Amino acid sequence: MLYLYSVNPAFNSSFFAGAIVRSFQLGSLYALIALGYTMVYGIIRLINFAHGEVFMVGAFAAYFLFSLTPLALPVAIIVALVVTYGFMQILNFWRGRMTDPLVLAGGALAFITVTIALSSTTLGWLAAMVASMFVTGVLGVTIDRVAYRPLRGAPRNSMLITAIAVSFFLQNFGILAFSNRQTPFRPPSFWTGPLQFPVLGETVFTSWMVVLVPLVTAVLVVALTLFVTRTRLGKAMRATAQDAETARMMGVNVDRVIATTFLLGSMLAAAAAVMWGMTFGSINQPAIFGILPGIKAFAAAVIGGIGSLPGAVVGGVLLGFLENFLTALFPRTQDFAGITEYKDTFAFLAMILILLVRPSGIVGEDLSEKV
Amino acid sequence: MSAPNETRPQAAAARAGLSPAEAGYRPHYLANRWRNTLLTLAGLVVVAGILFLVDGTGGVKMQQVFALFAIWGIATVSLNLVNGVTGILSLGHHGFMLIGGYVTGLLILPTAARDNITASARSSLSDFAIGLSVENWMRAIGLEFLATPETHWVRFLIALFIGGLMAAVFGIIVGFPSLRLRGDYLAIVTFAFGEAIRLLASTPLMASFTNGALGFSGVPSEFGKSVWWTFGIMAIAVFVMSRLKYSSYGRALQGIREDEIAAEAMGVHTAYHKVLAFAISAFFAGVAGGLWVSWVGTARLDLFLFFLTFYFLVAISVGGTGSITGALIGTALVVWVRQYGDPLEESYALSTWLLALGCVLLVGALIAFLVRRHKRLKPVAGPLVWLPAGLGLLAVAFGLFGTGIEALQQTWQGFGMRAITLAILLIAIMILRPSGVMGRKEFSWAMLFRERLDEPTDEERSQDAWLTNAALAASLAGDDEESDDPEGEGVR
Repeated sequence: MLYLYSVNPAFNSSFFAGAIVRSFQLGSLYALIALGYTMVYGIIRLINFAHGEVFMVGAFAAYFLFSLTPLALPVAIIVALVVTYGFMQILNFWRGRMTDPLVLAGGALAFITVTIALSSTTLGWLAAMVASMFVTGVLGVTIDRVAYRPLRGAPRNSMLITAIAVSFFLQNFGILAFSNRQTPFRPPSFWTGPLQFPVLGETVFTSWMVVLVPLVTAVLVVALTLFVTRTRLGKAMRATAQDAETARMMGVNVDRVIATTFLLGSMLAAAAAVMWGMTFGSINQPAIFGILPGIKAFAAAVIGGIGSLPGAVVGGVLLGFLENFLTALFPRTQDFAGITEYKDTFAFLAMILILLVRPSGIVGEDLSEKV
Repeated sequence: MSAPNETRPQAAAARAGLSPAEAGYRPHYLANRWRNTLLTLAGLVVVAGILFLVDGTGGVKMQQVFALFAIWGIATVSLNLVNGVTGILSLGHHGFMLIGGYVTGLLILPTAARDNITASARSSLSDFAIGLSVENWMRAIGLEFLATPETHWVRFLIALFIGGLMAAVFGIIVGFPSLRLRGDYLAIVTFAFGEAIRLLASTPLMASFTNGALGFSGVPSEFGKSVWWTFGIMAIAVFVMSRLKYSSYGRALQGIREDEIAAEAMGVHTAYHKVLAFAISAFFAGVAGGLWVSWVGTARLDLFLFFLTFYFLVAISVGGTGSITGALIGTALVVWVRQYGDPLEESYALSTWLLALGCVLLVGALIAFLVRRHKRLKPVAGPLVWLPAGLGLLAVAFGLFGTGIEALQQTWQGFGMRAITLAILLIAIMILRPSGVMGRKEFSWAMLFRERLDEPTDEERSQDAWLTNAALAASLAGDDEESDDPEGEGVR
């Protein structure tokens, strides 16, 4: 760092401090999306191409939730009905029967709460994020049920093509429903405000998002880890990831495990989407919003080792550092155009390098093909 | 082992020094040869007649649709070589098309349109880019007659060829990761290539050639919009691909598709063949890209988005992955939806949309019901049936009787409906009929007349003496019992 400072006085301590916090921020977002890819890949060996578009839907759902609330009562009731159905389906994962008293009670409670909340109050960013995570989770489960489940056991290429078709469908559905334009994304929030802190006598100017994003990511990752390691469904998930056939023989309901995987992955993607929108202040056109974050997060998952949860986090944070530092260390000067324009390709190059050198990723297990 | 063969006529003829044809033996693939040749010629005449009619009286729109069919047909057939024949899922075809398109467009751009390429920043690099033209090269090497307006088509073909070659170079580069990567990893790498090449084309360095996001206009469109040129080049592509498919290379590629490890064990040089498939496929994709730029008349980055590869993917999946005929059938469908699907994207009242949505949901429920019944699943009407059925009935009811509701009279523009239609179609095909219309079969006259090529014809049966001569058959059967029965079960 001292050497870099001697080369260019712009590389001072505040520069590095700012770059580090921003890398953590961006990397956390990548990590959250990458978790969805890696979980689905770990369980059914499918690159869920539609995950980037699920992320996009999460952002738009949150946008409508905090900008359109309070809703008119009939609309709120319709939304609440859909939400209730999804919530009951999720409760169903644990209880196994729709007519179980717990499921029915949960559904009724959800219906009343959601109706009152949507029709009376304006949602803040946190409420919008939680609601959007929910909506997006249900979307993920629906995608799995409609498009992927009929293809269990089909050739891998068929599943991949279906995933591409779902992704294309969601892109164009986004155009149809949300209209294809860049949308401002500014929920009323303290966290999007400016933040300055001194580092070794220099001041770093940034926003509170650099604190919020890693914080929320840490909370979600810890919750996910606890879920996967401490609950019966999490245990079933790990068993399915190891060997789906044997897990099925041992009495694991594999379809339910896969649905849970899609639910959790999509919820994390929605959380990432809301924070992404808050970080950048706007969300891109629905046709392209999901593509780059999606494929970069996939690259992060591959870099970390696909199928491994810590791998996704490590890969995501690493990718955040890579992108921020490479562009920051080669700034635009008078006789050098800078490499900002190339930054979107770093993820691909890093992924290809990792795949060629160590296909199992940094923390992943060996995935060599068996005859 | 050799005993039955010795008694076959072709073996006898070979001993006598005669070719099978001279000995009067005709293998099954030559059956009805004259009829098939005549039918093929008649078919070509019919196609030429249709093209003649389209070119003469079809109107501008119809000509464009036919030309687009041929251009996308070239690209689909080339994608089919990698995705269908070799079984490698490549998603970077729009990247190859971009390279071919920009190279071709730049090389044939007329002098008048050249100065606009790098209006923003002139540099030595952009001056070099402006000088890149087949016309200039022909002047430089003294072939003045190839620089005249009359020989424009020669220059276009040269540019198209160079564009294809550039794309093939990138195809080889993209093919190399395929030596280490399998299946979906490779799909992601090719996808990343397709996206990265577009990002790279808009960088300041490449903007000297590509003019960044603006692109350049003024590319001559008399070739890309002419049915004769496009169909001619498509005929070449289809011919090459069909010959390739049944050559030893094609067999090797199909072996890689079926089981790469087994193919390698059988002595197929898989690395060489995979890169070769990528190179050939990228070459034709580049040619298609050149024609596509010529069809549009401009070279822009938003012409080469992922939707192109998606459309081709839909086409080969609908037609049957691995079948050239199927790829063309699928292309026809995709082009039809794209060029005549405008009514889908107009604005209608919300009640109309609800009605349409309800009908789609009801059809989906019906299909789910039929599938569940066919698979004998219990209960026949699961949630996947009654949920869409209920929602569909609700939507239809609102669409039909919701005329009094104010909110349902608002209009809504159906942007993206064509792509949504194709996406739903692709998902449905993948679930319901993954082999597509044609499977892996190709069109042939024998198929049309329902002749089985894998069984001997009557003519062949009569020639195969051992099939009709009972005594001979019996003696052969006796041979078999002694020689070909290692278990010894046949010997009492």
